[in-house]
Amino acid sequence: MTKKFEITNNIRKLRFFADEMTQQELAEKAGVSRQTIIAIEAGKYSPSLELAFRISDVFGVKIGEVFSYKVQDD
Amino acid sequence: MSYQEKRTITSVFVGAVVLAAYCIYAFGRFNSGMAAADDLRFWASTMLIFIGIGIGAEIIVQIIFHIIFSIAIAIKENIRDEQCDEKEIEKKIERETVEDERDKLVELKSLRVGFTIAGIGFVGALVSLVLNNSAMVMLNILYLSFCVGSICEGIAQFYYYRMGL
Repeated sequence: MTKKFEITNNIRKLRFFADEMTQQELAEKAGVSRQTIIAIEAGKYSPSLELAFRISDVFGVKIGEVFSYKVQDD
Repeated sequence: MSYQEKRTITSVFVGAVVLAAYCIYAFGRFNSGMAAADDLRFWASTMLIFIGIGIGAEIIVQIIFHIIFSIAIAIKENIRDEQCDEKEIEKKIERETVEDERDKLVELKSLRVGFTIAGIGFVGALVSLVLNNSAMVMLNILYLSFCVGSICEGIAQFYYYRMGL
């Protein structure tokens, strides 16, 4: 039995509570492209630990409040 | 479509055009009897020339593409806000063309696809020699596999950008 991990994020929600911060604004503050933020939000890309910390820093929250993972059993 | 996706499509297009040009030129001469299968000097020099053309074309097309892309952004920004200054446009271009860790990862993964195809081509070229094919066949398999590998690398890059990593 293999375990699969699914990484989810609350970036959309956190952007909403940060005065509806745009993806471009978040991208600039985190030092990445808007396409990368779009991909992370859509769950198409799992960021590096460094970028994950930078994103959580932008919102001023702990990394666990931005990213979380679910364990899926096959 | 993002800057990177458009740039990848341009790169694939250039690769395909150079490959088609090589096939038309080299095999055209071979079919018309102007080049023999054992004239390895002809095949080697043609491949070298087309490698040069490929690199040159890629650089020139990428520069032209970047210029056109920048002009398109400037025009769009001017239409949106007639009073926007150059600095704003420059900033917008910078934002659109910024490269980050995701781009590097996409490049790395697609490079693996390209190397795999080139590697298979190399083995195929050696196998062709074992099967008593001429050196011309071996050279062409080698060259074509590198070209196809490069094109597939671009396609893989586009796929990773679209579908995610």
